[in-house]
Amino acid sequence: MFSYYLKLALLSCKRTWGMSLLMVLAIALGIGAAMTTITVNYLMSANPIPQKSDQLFYVQLDNWEPNDPFFDNGDPPDQLTYRDATYLWQAKKAPRQVIMSGMAAVVEPKDKDALPFMVTGRASSADFFPMFDVPFLYGSGWDGAADAKKELVVVINAELNERLFGGRDSTGETLRLAGKDFRISGVMARWDPKPKFYDITTGPFEDVEEVFVPFSLITEQFFDRSGNTNCWKPTESGFQAFLDSECVWTQLWVELPTSADREAYQSFINAYTAEQHKFGRFARQDNNKLSDVMTWLEQRQVVSDDASMMMAMALMFLAVCLLNTVGLLLAKFLGKASEIGVRQALGASRNDLFLQHLVESGMIGLAGGVLGLLLAWLGLEAVKAMYGDWIRDLAVLDLNMVLLAIALAIGSSILAGLYPTWRACQVQPSQQLKAQ
Amino acid sequence: MLELGPMLRALMRNKIGALLIALQIALTLTIMVNAIFMMLARSAQMARPSGLDEQNTFYLTNTVFAPNYNLQAALAQDLQRIRQTPGVVAATQINAIPLSGGGWSMSLQNKPGDDIDGTGVAVYMVDEQGIAAMGLELIAGENFAPSDVIWRDQGATEWPAKIILSQAMAAQMFDGDWKKALGQTLYINNHEPMQITGIIKSLQAPWNGWDNVENAMLVPQQLDSRNSRFFIRTEPGRRDALMPQLEKALAESDKGRIVRNMKTMEQTRAESYREDLATYNILLTVIVVLTLITGFGIVGLAMFSINRRTRQIGTRRALGASQWQIMRFFMLENLLISGLGVLLGIGGAIGLNIWLVSTFAMTPLTPGLLLIGCAALLLVGQLAVSYPALIAARISPATATRGRA
Amino acid sequence: MLSMKNISKSFATDNVVTHALRDINLNLAEGDFVSVTGPSGSGKTTFLNIAGLLESSTAGEYWLDGEDISKLDDKGRSRMRNQKIGFIFQSFNLIPDLNLFDNVDVPLRYRGFNAAERKKRIEYHLDQVGLASRMKHLPSQLSGGQQQRVAIARALATSPRFLLADEPTGNLDSSMAQSVMSLLEDINANGTTILMVTHDNGLAARAKRQIFIKDGQAQELLQGQPHHHIHNLAAV
Repeated sequence: MFSYYLKLALLSCKRTWGMSLLMVLAIALGIGAAMTTITVNYLMSANPIPQKSDQLFYVQLDNWEPNDPFFDNGDPPDQLTYRDATYLWQAKKAPRQVIMSGMAAVVEPKDKDALPFMVTGRASSADFFPMFDVPFLYGSGWDGAADAKKELVVVINAELNERLFGGRDSTGETLRLAGKDFRISGVMARWDPKPKFYDITTGPFEDVEEVFVPFSLITEQFFDRSGNTNCWKPTESGFQAFLDSECVWTQLWVELPTSADREAYQSFINAYTAEQHKFGRFARQDNNKLSDVMTWLEQRQVVSDDASMMMAMALMFLAVCLLNTVGLLLAKFLGKASEIGVRQALGASRNDLFLQHLVESGMIGLAGGVLGLLLAWLGLEAVKAMYGDWIRDLAVLDLNMVLLAIALAIGSSILAGLYPTWRACQVQPSQQLKAQ
Repeated sequence: MLELGPMLRALMRNKIGALLIALQIALTLTIMVNAIFMMLARSAQMARPSGLDEQNTFYLTNTVFAPNYNLQAALAQDLQRIRQTPGVVAATQINAIPLSGGGWSMSLQNKPGDDIDGTGVAVYMVDEQGIAAMGLELIAGENFAPSDVIWRDQGATEWPAKIILSQAMAAQMFDGDWKKALGQTLYINNHEPMQITGIIKSLQAPWNGWDNVENAMLVPQQLDSRNSRFFIRTEPGRRDALMPQLEKALAESDKGRIVRNMKTMEQTRAESYREDLATYNILLTVIVVLTLITGFGIVGLAMFSINRRTRQIGTRRALGASQWQIMRFFMLENLLISGLGVLLGIGGAIGLNIWLVSTFAMTPLTPGLLLIGCAALLLVGQLAVSYPALIAARISPATATRGRA
Repeated sequence: MLSMKNISKSFATDNVVTHALRDINLNLAEGDFVSVTGPSGSGKTTFLNIAGLLESSTAGEYWLDGEDISKLDDKGRSRMRNQKIGFIFQSFNLIPDLNLFDNVDVPLRYRGFNAAERKKRIEYHLDQVGLASRMKHLPSQLSGGQQQRVAIARALATSPRFLLADEPTGNLDSSMAQSVMSLLEDINANGTTILMVTHDNGLAARAKRQIFIKDGQAQELLQGQPHHHIHNLAAV
């Protein structure tokens, strides 16, 4: 019987092709818009390091102006002063901790014909690589001793290794960076966490840096820091004064596997700010935050307002499209009342009629869903073209999203088709068969 | 006198159908009004002038990597080279680019002291050609003299004695009257005095979404830095030709540095507002598509309804109804349904706006826009129903006497 | 074959109860050909709808081919309509989107026959009404008489034992009406029981039995009796 219903549905759609097309388009546009925005939101709010996001904690201390909090809502600054970060890092109170900041430097290729170029980089301590499960193609990161001795070691990413060394194992070789010779200790495999959770202060969806060097080299001043520097208190001239200042530009992550570790660390930083409070710092001495990855991303609202707003709009748009389809299907099915009456006279039960019309609305829904999936893909391409590079990895349909789109299409069309179908089955045959 | 009574009773018999259209219109209005409101806000934001001569300006970054480098001499030489290039109107070294998203801000206060609230201002470090290079308009006071310009070491915290403020910043510091600002002293770093020696009409900060985006300050300083930017203004029409020429000349003159990130101000503006423009375009598409879907939905429903009522319409015609009366019936019926939808939609639009205002810190909707939205949707309804109504009006009175097809 | 006992139908609207049928008693034997006449609004059509299981009575007993109709649900009633009853309507009621083949196919689909059986029956029955050559035509391409023949082919396709005809010639000119009527007589001659509503006394008289309905009450006319000499069917 299913094939019969399918044949009837096709015939019926063909007869009122304009309206059928409108219904299919409406569902497709609604689903396309909804899926485009849901996908962007879903990827923006993705967990970039699911295996240990609840064990990695970002440290925030509130050293900011006594009368004017850093954030309007009273949250502590999003970075630490060099002196506080260094103290906490050196205390080694967590199993692992990493201190870091953005940096940039010029690379001079060995090939004298090739032009020097700028790379983005990160100055971090040794634990960065094991803490964030950074995958390596060759070699590894450096150890704590290298941090302490301010060794000129560097980890480069796969793209840079491809560009400079043709993709071969370059560990042990030299990289001319910021006018110094660095020893390459490892080459990272392709690694692209989105959001770039470990540093979202200059934008949550940037690419992973190309080079990583020991943080301790910062004090040698031969490369530039990058990222935000925020100050509230006038400082004296000179680099040492800057390091000792209340300017925030350093980041600290700690790995705390158990809740006991977490509580212990919280007490540790609270004790530290209480101690410092005695010297006139930390006016809000208890406003310290220890946030795991997802909490941190939520606190800093990596899902942009535009994205959530667009999703709300798109879902309402889908609702309009569904209402449109319900209305048209209802009108269409009621227009077929006399046929329904004839079919009942010829032996169709309500079940038969229900199935027949469900197949018809299901077919429209399915067509709309498939077209909607295509539109979602086009929509994501348009989003990429319009918003630019940073959204590239946030506008991709993964299997989950495709499944959701299909579920949404089927759910929507059943929702839209159910009431009209039910009404079609309520037709009283005796009223339809008599000549008017 | 009109057929309102029978029409309402007919609508009541097909409550669900009418309610579906009304709901669709209500949701359309809800989305449409809020989307247009957001679009207006974005376009107002994008239309703000930066104060610069955007058509004829560009900038580039100079990054020095060679060790043992005489920075000050090299930078002075570069500037001279740029300024002597035919077609260049003016050039300056600068620490930050308006609208670029990266820059430097400080806090200024009217009185010295540690506990005085300051006002945020974007800092542009330029030399005596700064105003000419950016194409700014000096409306009071005077430009920096070459002797005012001092070198600023990396990590230095001292500030020069003279500053030039944007009009908006001057007004904000002096009770809304920028004219009072000239010659006055402001304090930076809580205690250090600086005298206002000039006012420029406008200059935006590097961050387009900043509350104080119109607050800017020029200071006569040159950064002694391995990373520096040159901001260059050319004669009209010569920018695009001069850009590669200057880039090449600088790069070849000294191999101890790289010249990178060369961009026009127009590119910078486009990048700065890229997301706003994208959002604007998406909202525009949403409104257009939504209106089309709703419009065609009304056409479709009216066509079905007319098909079902062919005999009834024929009978009315046979009983003396004119074509216009038949048309008017359907137009009026649509007006009733759309009117209900619009009424519901006003509530919806205000509700959505309240949510948007509370969730995304938007400004509240203006009633005028809401009314325009209502009128527009009623018009869309009338336009959409006019074609089916015309078809209905053309139904022959003879239909009444024929059997059904 | 068919037995109605005290069948009544009433509609309650607001505060008025309208009686469409009152205490109808009727027995049909296998092979009967009964015509039903009566003025407009007398309840003829309601009677036919109840007989054809398109409507339910509000009181009384109705047995069709040994089954108590009141005990059937929608599914059972649909099965009865499909297998035991054929319908012919005044306005033919062919489905306009379907060609002749597919129109005759409709009841066969609900019957659940396989494709070969359906094809055989469709071709046979269309051939019987002389339209086998026009199987792919749409109803709108046929004359009224031809449409009614298709409707008859469709009604007979599942080989029902009971044929209900509601003004089958009402929309036809007299020569077409005559040919449709003789078709019905042939069908009856082959053993199918027919109940036919008509307002044409001439046609009604060609039936084996005649029933006259007025104000919801039915009376059987004895053969050859003029219309005004009637006796109450309930008394029979």
